[in-house]
Amino acid sequence: MEPIISVKSLVKTYRLGKVDVPALRGVDLVVQEGEFVAVVGPSGCGKSTLLHILGGLTGPSEGQVCIDGNDFRLMTDADRTRFRRHKIGFVFQRFNLLPTLSARDNIAIAQHIQGNGFNPHRFEAITRMLGIDKKLNHRPFALSGGEQQRVAIARAVICEPKILLADEPTGNLDTENSQVVLDMLRELNRTFRQTILMITHNPEAAGIANRIIRMRDGRIISD
Amino acid sequence: MVNKLIVSNVLHRPIRTAVSVLAVAIEVAMVILVVGLCHGLVNDSARRVEGVGADILVRPPGASFMLGLGEAPMPTKIGERLAELPRVLAVAPAIIHVNNAESVDLIYGIDMSSYNAVSGGFVYLSGGPFQSPYDVLVDDIYANAHHTKVGATMNLLNHDFKVAGIVEHGKGARRFIPLTTMQDLTASQDKATTFFVKCTDPAYAEQVTDAFKTLLPGYTIYPIKEYMALMTSNNIPGLNYFITVMIALAVGIGFLVIFLSMYTTITERTREIGILKSLGASKAYIILVILREATLLTAVGIIAGFIGALILRKVMGGVFPTLPVEITWDWRLYAACLALLGSILGSFYPALRAAQLDPVDALAYE
Repeated sequence: MEPIISVKSLVKTYRLGKVDVPALRGVDLVVQEGEFVAVVGPSGCGKSTLLHILGGLTGPSEGQVCIDGNDFRLMTDADRTRFRRHKIGFVFQRFNLLPTLSARDNIAIAQHIQGNGFNPHRFEAITRMLGIDKKLNHRPFALSGGEQQRVAIARAVICEPKILLADEPTGNLDTENSQVVLDMLRELNRTFRQTILMITHNPEAAGIANRIIRMRDGRIISD
Repeated sequence: MVNKLIVSNVLHRPIRTAVSVLAVAIEVAMVILVVGLCHGLVNDSARRVEGVGADILVRPPGASFMLGLGEAPMPTKIGERLAELPRVLAVAPAIIHVNNAESVDLIYGIDMSSYNAVSGGFVYLSGGPFQSPYDVLVDDIYANAHHTKVGATMNLLNHDFKVAGIVEHGKGARRFIPLTTMQDLTASQDKATTFFVKCTDPAYAEQVTDAFKTLLPGYTIYPIKEYMALMTSNNIPGLNYFITVMIALAVGIGFLVIFLSMYTTITERTREIGILKSLGASKAYIILVILREATLLTAVGIIAGFIGALILRKVMGGVFPTLPVEITWDWRLYAACLALLGSILGSFYPALRAAQLDPVDALAYE
């Protein structure tokens, strides 16, 4: 079976002024559909850069990235945007909800951008599973951190993405809420066979994944 | 969904919204009022000349079609010769004097009997015709604006005149004095600057005009229909430039305010734009969100501008009754289109900049 994520010799170098800063120095990674992968490593090791490249938010400097059969080398910026719209869901450490919209609209806007219309059945199933069905009319400022992150998860998965990319999803949460969010992610992985790639500093959080990848200095050091 | 996002964004920043709407409203009201005032003055002036009831205007050689503008007087005897021509019912000589002592307005020096023969006579709302050389007639609009009553005195051409009567407006000037007095005061004895000519039938106007032109080669002679066609803002020297400059200023204000407002918005909402991009929003989607937000602000501003213009016209009508402001649907539409165009242009660069933001940088924006 073809892997959903296939990365070969991935290099990403940022240019700050006249200085080249290598963020990824040759990463090889294969993830099968339905896997729950945790990526751990110290700050600056390239975890977030890897996540941004896999999500099509930025392009690689060198190497091959193939997601669900889409080779990033052959894709324009607009192609990557379209790809992200249909195949990727993001969950961020800082929740990143639109502050002026209600929880319901924060979730629904993902469906609107995708353009496949509102799917009430999936909407109800997701919001109930995440325990936010009673909070849908609240705006982000009226929700706790845990609730905001669950809304963000609902937004990320409402369009049935092939891959859920979570960047430190528990980084801004207390222990109790962190556990709730991690349970939700595990539930999503089990119930919907959702492929999840999660970046974390937290070894306990990483522990819920099926597979843990460790990174250092822009390379994978253990898998 | 996009509408919800736009409306919620607009409501979320009430000061920015209020300033943007106010700027567009000022732009729209300014365009409508400036154009309305220019057109109102020109049309009012033309209508009042038409209201004299003449079929033909005869003026000196080289005279401007605008009454009262720099013409040399003609001998009144010319009027007597014109009156002898076939199909001419009456000829009223007049001196039209530009009075700029208080504000710029025209004072007609008229011969009452011939002016009545051409115009059908004044309708007196109070008082009556001239009784002495230093009597003046004023129309009701002037009287209301200046709280003038019959018997009051006013200074014209450095002489005191007594108000003999208040007449219904619409027959030429707002103030009339006897022709002989005007001739004495302007050193134009036995002269006139305009002859108002009434034909036995208005249908003869062109025929009689041709006869006049044969008799008085080089004189400026218009059938009243031709004069009315000339009295538009397009034909008033410099007026169109003035209107264009004022419109450009108004549109410039709207453009700059919307530009700054949307530019600030983009900076404030960098992270939100990053979120939309992470959800897969295309550049076109981001541009449309920004443009639609600017359009919403502009639409509200346009409505506020319409209402503001109507209120200001009412206020101006009360304070300056002699300054007519004509608000036409055409110019409402033009003003709205200009405001919309200005705001789309003003918001396009910020929208483009938002669309080109790097999603990773935008998501990291504090």
